[in-house]
Amino acid sequence: MSNPIVSIQGLSYQYALTEVPALRDVSLDIAEGEYVAVMGPCGAGKTTLCLSLNGIVPHMMAGGVEGKVIIAGQDTAQTTVRELARTVGMVFDNPEFQLSQVTAREEIALGLENTGVPRDEMIRRIDEVLGLVGLRGFADRSPLAMSGGQQQRLAIAAALAMYPRVLVLDEPTSNLDPIGKEEVFSVCAQLNRERGMTIVIVEHEVEVMATYASRVVVLSEGRVALNGAPRDVLRQVQALEAVGARAPQVTELAYRLEQRGRPVAEYPVTLEQALAVFPAEGVR
Amino acid sequence: MTTPPIVCDALGHEYAGGVLALKPTTLTIQPGEVLGVVGQNGSGKTTLVKHFNGLLRPTSGRLLINGEDARPRPVHDLARHVGYVFQNPNHQLFATTVEAELRFGPTNLGLTPETVAERVQQATSFFGIEKLLTSHPYRLAFPLRKLVAMASVYAMGPDVFVLDEPTTGQDHAGSNMVRKLIERLREQGKTVVIVSHDMALIAEVADRVLALWAAEVIASGSPRAIFAEDRVMQRTKLYPPQITQFARRWAPASTRPLPLTVAEAAAAVLGEER
Amino acid sequence: MAQHLPIPVVFVPRNSFFHRLHPVPKLIWAVGAIVMAFATRNPLVLLVLFVLGILFIAGAGVMRAYGRVMLVLFPISLSLIVFQALAPAFPQPWTPIAGFGPFTIYQEGIYSGLSLLLRTFAGSNFAVLLVLTTHPADLFTALQKFGVPHELNFMVSASLQLIPIVQREFQIVLSAQRSRGMRATGFGAAIPSMVPVFAGTIERVQQLAMSLESRAFGSKGAKTSLREVRASAKDVIFGLIGIVVTVAVTVLVLQYQAQLDWSKTPFMPDWVSVALVAVAALTFIAFTIALWWRASRE
Ligand SMILES: Nc1ncnc2c1ncn2[C@@H]1O[C@H](COP(=O)(O)OP(=O)(O)OP(=O)(O)O)[C@@H](O)[C@H]1O
Ligand SMILES: Nc1ncnc2c1ncn2[C@@H]1O[C@H](COP(=O)(O)OP(=O)(O)OP(=O)(O)O)[C@@H](O)[C@H]1O
Ligand SMILES: [Mg+2]
Ligand SMILES: [Mg+2]
Repeated sequence: MSNPIVSIQGLSYQYALTEVPALRDVSLDIAEGEYVAVMGPCGAGKTTLCLSLNGIVPHMMAGGVEGKVIIAGQDTAQTTVRELARTVGMVFDNPEFQLSQVTAREEIALGLENTGVPRDEMIRRIDEVLGLVGLRGFADRSPLAMSGGQQQRLAIAAALAMYPRVLVLDEPTSNLDPIGKEEVFSVCAQLNRERGMTIVIVEHEVEVMATYASRVVVLSEGRVALNGAPRDVLRQVQALEAVGARAPQVTELAYRLEQRGRPVAEYPVTLEQALAVFPAEGVR
Repeated sequence: MTTPPIVCDALGHEYAGGVLALKPTTLTIQPGEVLGVVGQNGSGKTTLVKHFNGLLRPTSGRLLINGEDARPRPVHDLARHVGYVFQNPNHQLFATTVEAELRFGPTNLGLTPETVAERVQQATSFFGIEKLLTSHPYRLAFPLRKLVAMASVYAMGPDVFVLDEPTTGQDHAGSNMVRKLIERLREQGKTVVIVSHDMALIAEVADRVLALWAAEVIASGSPRAIFAEDRVMQRTKLYPPQITQFARRWAPASTRPLPLTVAEAAAAVLGEER
Repeated sequence: MAQHLPIPVVFVPRNSFFHRLHPVPKLIWAVGAIVMAFATRNPLVLLVLFVLGILFIAGAGVMRAYGRVMLVLFPISLSLIVFQALAPAFPQPWTPIAGFGPFTIYQEGIYSGLSLLLRTFAGSNFAVLLVLTTHPADLFTALQKFGVPHELNFMVSASLQLIPIVQREFQIVLSAQRSRGMRATGFGAAIPSMVPVFAGTIERVQQLAMSLESRAFGSKGAKTSLREVRASAKDVIFGLIGIVVTVAVTVLVLQYQAQLDWSKTPFMPDWVSVALVAVAALTFIAFTIALWWRASRE
């Protein structure tokens, strides 16, 4: 890969007072403009990996680190979190815990004020990102008077407004209803397509990730277990099962059919692919 | 006929400040039934189920628990009949060992030490957490913490379980564990109410689905019937599980029962081949 | 409920003259009032200042919020009157005016209690007005001009935010424990509800720190501000009036200090003083009991 925007080189990390490392010798390059889904069971190190992308690991956590993370040419060990914040936007897994301002407008403005964005530009961007995440009309609402789903959207808007080159989202849709989840993934897809924003997203919802992601990385016990295009990774039903992840339902269907003696030409990973592989009744 | 454990009689709820979160709802939950409650964010799911153990009180209508009006009974008394497992286990765990956590509920009910010990023992073996008894609940990984939270409610021996978002934050293994537990509760004849955005879970375990939209129950029926109804799906902005979507598009005009799980879909596809 | 609390708890959004006023002139008045209140103990001067403050507060339409704030100060001020009447913070000899069994009420004590009370309220009225009518961000921007660091400002406003959050968390934890058969009162409820709230709060604070860093909080380089506070002619005039009044009143009361010292002057009939002390004592007791009862109920 020529000049990746994220380059993780042999990264190992162990939190203080714990017995096992959270990450073990992880090496991963991500090119600008990729949409990477990170999956894996609880405790696999997904959150730790996210935190290492803007320097919170190791700067704000106690623990031992080995290896290197280079973000847009900056070594995270040599750069502060505040400086990396200009390149990497971060959405944490608990939406409510990351909001601190009196209104949505000010929540979004916070990062812009800190990086010295002029006031007119700030107002324009606030308007823009509120529209992007579907919160137009909520600018003066207190984040505490919002539902969990709305808070999650606001946290995303606050990160987006800083126009990061890399946007990292750690389980950003855990409290959202199905349509809300869909909206978050498609906003990310839109930014990815139109602005070339690099997306790294931790997500359990494998069916949706199969359609949106350009790459899937599966972590297991702190290591990269599988890594590649969704079509290549998600078809490995048994390998996924072995590390405590799962394949999309349609892929599992193909797997079961094959187990029961019906040959399947090509494993589908999305609904559309499944309909192509198993032509609809009557069409045949 | 046995008395239904929960009956809502035109039960409605308006929060202080005037938010009408639940329009008058009439609903009977049968003993041994597994009921799935689905709907958009803010549609009133949590508001509905919080009435079942008295955490919220109807602002209109009535709630009957085992045929009796629940109004005069405080939460700690209703807790004998209805166990409520909160979404976030951190909100309920406080003790320094799992065992102490399990003892808390039954002790509060005023049971004798022998009965408490027996209840703790039953919960331990039902959830298979013998090895965790001396662990500190806060040091457990999330799926296990959730398990302990559920066990601590089970130890109180309620007939009805309310599970709010049991699979949120869980991985594949954790969700499977939740599914198995629900199946085993069903085998024991318990009534289970599940609030969830996880349609695959609901499709697999629920006997009946209640679909809410804007503070109102707009549909109630078997998952097969609910997920087959375009009108309900469009109105509630929900999607059936992927495998069901596939099955519907694969055989749109079919009159066969709609597959809800991968196993059912596989059978349907193989059936076609034969 | 907790969800609808405006946060931080103190600022009341309205559109009054005082709300639109620049924070600096309001700050001048707040400081000026404290200077004036401490320049004299004369009840009449303090009363005038107090009434002026109340008029401003009423004009700003934040009387109810003011009442809520003052409810906290109320029992303290009542006890002030009682204790001062019995044991004045004044050099002896004291002038006795009435006896209550073993207690004696002194003229100096009444004077001292009243003036302390009026001082507290007259001095704090304008500060409360400032807080109630100024958006925290504007207030902090103004304070920053006087050299208070931005980080400190932020930390104050962030901890104010924490109050309603912890309140809500506490509600959820209480419901969770009541669902496990816990009766919501007494010592037995303390640990099961405090541990999760405490653990949750710590996690929250850590997470907030990470979230702020991730948005370049405290980074070097130029900062900008979304909120724009511009001063107009009326702001300048209001500020100037504040300075002139403060200086004039202070100079005058210092000049006529001797005449304004009413500590030995019986400026109220004795029975009024006695009634005042008795009512204050009874109200204080009633208040304490009411608070205790409310706390023990839920
Ligand atoms: N702040 C911390 N202090 C100590 N250990 C931690 C901390 N955060 C995580 N760990 C440990 O590091 C390992 C990896 O955790 P991490 O949170 O990265 O996993 P994850 O894949 O994000 O899991 P989940 O799906 O539960 O979010 C786990 O064993 C966890 O217990
Ligand atoms: N304590 C409260 N005070 C006022 N309004 C509330 C309160 N709790 C919930 N509401 C409102 O009542 C409505 C229903 O909320 P409820 O929590 O029942 O939704 P839900 O269906 O469980 O949503 P979710 O999927 O997001 O959990 C929402 O509009 C919500 O904002
Ligand atoms: Mg995580
Ligand atoms: Mg809910």
